[in-house]
Amino acid sequence: MDNKKTFIYLNGKVIGFVNEPQKFVNEVRATRRKGQISGEINIAYSEKLNSININTDRGRLRKPYLIVEHGKSKLTLEFITKLKNKEINFNYLVRNGVIEYLDAEEEENSLVAIEEKDITEKTTHLEFDMAAIFGLSANVAPYAEHNAIARQAMSANYMKQSEGLYASNFNQRFDSRTFILFYPQAPIVTTVPYESLNIKKHPSGQNLVVAVSTYYGYNMSDALVLNRAAVDRGVGRSMFYKSYSDEERRYPGGQRDRFKIPSPTSEGYMGEHAYSKLSEDGIIEPEISVEEGDVLIGKVAPPRFLEENIGAGSLEERTRDDSATLKAGENGVVDSVIFTETPGATRTVKVRIRSLRVPERGDKFASRHGQKGVVALIAQPEDMPFTESGVVPDLLLNPHSIPTRLTFGHLLEEIAGKAGAVAGQKIDGTSFTQTGNEKLADYAEMLKQYGFDKYGDEIMYDGMTGRPFKASIFVGVAYYNRLYHMVSNKIQVRSRGKVQILTHQPTEGKARQGALKFGEMERDALIGHGASLLLKERMLDQSDKTTVLICKQCGAMGFYDYIKRTNVCPLCGNSSLVNVEISYAFKVLLDEIKSMHIMPKIKLKE
Amino acid sequence: MAEKTNKYIVNYGEPVGMVAAQSLGEPGTQMILRAFHFAGIESTIATSGLPRIVELVDARKKPATPITYVYLTGDAKKSFDKAESIMKKISEVKMVTIIKRSLENFPKGMIKLVADEQALAANNLTPSQVAQKIAKKLNISATVDREKNILIKLKTKNVGEIRAMSVKIMKDVVQGLPDAGKAIIQQDQKTNEFYLISAGSNIRDIIEVDGVDKTRLYTNDVFAMYDLFGIEAARNTLVNELRKTLKEQKIGVDTRHLMLIADAMTYSGFVKGVGRHGLSGQKNSVFAKAAYEETVKHLVNAAAFSEVDNMRGVTENILVGKQIPIGTGSVRLAIKKEDMQKVKARSKKK
Repeated sequence: MDNKKTFIYLNGKVIGFVNEPQKFVNEVRATRRKGQISGEINIAYSEKLNSININTDRGRLRKPYLIVEHGKSKLTLEFITKLKNKEINFNYLVRNGVIEYLDAEEEENSLVAIEEKDITEKTTHLEFDMAAIFGLSANVAPYAEHNAIARQAMSANYMKQSEGLYASNFNQRFDSRTFILFYPQAPIVTTVPYESLNIKKHPSGQNLVVAVSTYYGYNMSDALVLNRAAVDRGVGRSMFYKSYSDEERRYPGGQRDRFKIPSPTSEGYMGEHAYSKLSEDGIIEPEISVEEGDVLIGKVAPPRFLEENIGAGSLEERTRDDSATLKAGENGVVDSVIFTETPGATRTVKVRIRSLRVPERGDKFASRHGQKGVVALIAQPEDMPFTESGVVPDLLLNPHSIPTRLTFGHLLEEIAGKAGAVAGQKIDGTSFTQTGNEKLADYAEMLKQYGFDKYGDEIMYDGMTGRPFKASIFVGVAYYNRLYHMVSNKIQVRSRGKVQILTHQPTEGKARQGALKFGEMERDALIGHGASLLLKERMLDQSDKTTVLICKQCGAMGFYDYIKRTNVCPLCGNSSLVNVEISYAFKVLLDEIKSMHIMPKIKLKE
Repeated sequence: MAEKTNKYIVNYGEPVGMVAAQSLGEPGTQMILRAFHFAGIESTIATSGLPRIVELVDARKKPATPITYVYLTGDAKKSFDKAESIMKKISEVKMVTIIKRSLENFPKGMIKLVADEQALAANNLTPSQVAQKIAKKLNISATVDREKNILIKLKTKNVGEIRAMSVKIMKDVVQGLPDAGKAIIQQDQKTNEFYLISAGSNIRDIIEVDGVDKTRLYTNDVFAMYDLFGIEAARNTLVNELRKTLKEQKIGVDTRHLMLIADAMTYSGFVKGVGRHGLSGQKNSVFAKAAYEETVKHLVNAAAFSEVDNMRGVTENILVGKQIPIGTGSVRLAIKKEDMQKVKARSKKK
C-alpha cells in the first residue's frame, strides 16, 4: 500500500478503492444532497485508517442537521418565510438539501456549529437549536441542562410510567391494564417541544405545591409526605381498568365451550357462592361490585381427557368448569361488558373492571427530574406546616434528595412554577434558552411583584405547635406524575398455602399466593451463624417435610398396609420399618435414582 | 493478655469456612464495580482486583502477570552499576524486541535481520554482539553487513527449514534468563538499597545468579514458589498476594480468613484451587459433590462403585432435611437420660 489508495467499504465489505478519497466523499455527499441517491446513505472518510465507510444498513442512529456551505447556513430567510406560511415542511427541506441526517460515523467528518454566529469556514453543519443536543423525550422535561444526565434519563423513564389521559376514548377501549388520572393538568413550566408535540393533549401529571422540608422523619430516603386535603381534592386520584376476556372455543370432535353457570357436577366447580353474581346467561352485569374469587364469565368446557368407560347411568354430558375468575387481591366494579363474535364465529365476552385508586401509603410519585418517591404518610392538613399566607403544601420533599443527585432543575422548576402560578401564566423552561442566573432574575422579579420572596423562601409555621420554624422554607410549584406502581396491586401475604405438586415445596409468585424464597445466600447466612435448628426449620419444617417408612434391614422405602395393619417392606417383606423424617425433594431424588435402575439404600442409626 | 487472646479463640462448631467465604465474597461483589489503577511501574504491570483474586483462588498454573522481586547482596545493594550488571544477567531480551524485520531470501538460503537501533542501544548491545551470540547458540554463521544488518547464511535452501529457522531466531533469548521477563532496577525508599523487579517468574534460574539475595527472593507466582521453596512458601505467597490485592482495592478483610483459605488450598501438600477440580471436587459426600457441579457424573460414579454417604457435611444434611452438624447442631447427646440412670444404678451396685 505504498501508492496511496483508499479502500471503500460498503456496510463493512470492501467494494473497491479510490485515489482521491476526499474528492470521492464530497462527490457522493453532493449527489445525496441533490436527491439523486437515497438520503439514508451515510459516508465517512477516515484519514487515520485510510478507509471510506459507506453505510446503508438499518439500525444506525441518525440525527438531522442543517447543512452549512461556504460559511453560510442553507436555511435561508426565503425558506423560513415559506415555512411560516406553511408552504413547505420539514421533509421538503430534507429533499432539497437543506437538512440532512448524519449517522455516528459521518458525524466524525463534520464540524457542527451550535449557533449561527459560531459558523466559521470549516463548519459543515448547524444545529437547529441548542436544545436539539437532547432528544425529544429529554426535552419534554424543563431545565434539563441543569440536571445530571443520569437523572434526566431516569426522568424520561418515569414519564413513561406516569398515569394520565392516555386516550380520550378510554371508555370504549378494552385495554388489559390501564390507569386514567382524574384531574390531569397542563404543566405550568413547559418546554417548546412539549407544547408542539402531541403529548400536550395527553397530560399526565398535576402541579403540586411542594415544600422542601423534612417532616418528623416521614420523608426520609425518598419517601414523600402528602397532604390529606390535597388528596381529597384529587391529587393523584386515578381509576384502574382491567379487562378480562373469554371465548367459546371449538374443539376437534364437535365439542365446544359454553357460556353458562356451571352445574355443580362439573369438574372444578367452585361452589355456589362464586357464581352468585352472574346473571342467567352466565355473564356478569355492569355496575356489580366484585371481589377476589368472584366469577366474571361462567364457562364450561369439555373434559380434558376422554374417559374410557362412562358409566351407563350418567347420561349427563360431563363438563369442566373453565370460568374467568377475578384474581387474588383484586376488586372493583364491573365497568362494561361486551358480547361479540370473532371472525372465526366464536362468541367472545369482554368484561372490564374499574376500581378507584386513591393515593395511599406505598404509592409512587415522581417529578420530571428523576426524583421519585414513595408516599410514606398522608398527613392531616392541620398537622402540616403552613406559610404566612396560610398555604399548606400538597407535598413535602426531603431536602436531602437534592444535593447528591445534582437535580437543580427541580429547584428551578419550583421557583418558575411558583412565579407562573402567582402571575397566572405558563413559563417556558426549554433547555439552553437562558442562563441560570437570567432565569432566576426573571422569576425573582415576578415573585417580588406579587409580594413573595424572590428566591421562593417562605416563613412557615409548625402545624402541631403553631410556632414559626427558625429557618425559612423553600416552597414552590412542581409538576408531579403519579406512577403506575401501586401497593394495592402488589401487596401479598402468606402464612400457609399452596405447595408445588412435584416437590411439595411452597409455590412462588404473587399469582399463586406464593412464599418468598429462602435462597442459597440466605442459607449461607444461617450456616455462618451456626443456627442449625433455624436452618432446619426453614428448609424442612416450613417447607417440604414428609415422613417415610424405611426398612431397618435393607434400607428401602416401605409402606403401611391398611388391610393387614402392618408396615411392609416391598423388597424383603420385613415388617420392621421406622418412620424417618426427610425432605420430600430428597424422596423425589431417591425415586428418580431408582427409575434409573440404581438402588439407593438408607442406612439407619439409632 | 492470655484472657484477651482466649476470648477471641474460635468456638467449637463455628463455621469458619462459611464466614471466610462470606468475608471474601461480599467485598468481591463491590470490586467488579470499581477498577482502581494507580500510577507507577508495579501496578501497571500487575493484574489487580477481582481477576487477580480469581487467579489466586483458582490456583492457575501461570499467572497473567508474573512479577519477581530480586533483592541483592553485598555491594550490589549500594551500587547502581553492580545492580545493573546483575540486571543484565537476569533481564530477558528476546530477538523480537531488538529486530525490526526479518527478510528471508529463499534462493540464496539467507536471512537478513534489520536491527532496531534504539532497542539495541537500550540493551547495550551491538549488531556484532548479537550476531556472535546467535551464531554460537544456534550453530549457524552470522555476519554483519555495512548497513549494520545481520546476515545469516544457512546450509539448506529448503523454504520450510529457512522459515522455521527464522521463527526460531526471533524467539531466541539473546541476553538474560529465559522466562525471567524484563527487569527494572528500583531503589527502596527507606533503605536506599537497589533491587530488581522482573516481569517473569523463573526464580529457579534467578536464584543461581551471583549477587542475588537467596533469602529474600520473592515472586507472585504461587506455583513457582511451590516448585522452589515448597508448600509452606506457596501457602504464605497465597496469603500475601490475597492480602496485597485486597489492600490495593482498599478492602479490609481479616487476614485470618485469607489464611484459612490458603490453608484449605494447600493442606494436602499440593496447591489446589477451590473449583470443581480442586476443593469442591474432592469432598467426601456424594450429595455435596452432586449438588455443586456435574450432578450426573457424580451420581453415576457413586452408583458404579456403590458409595456410601456418611452425612457428615452441611450440604448433604440440608438436602435430606437433617440438622446440620455446625454450630448448635455440632453437639449431640452422648447418652440418653434413661441409659444414664441405668449406668448410675449399676455403678451403685458395685
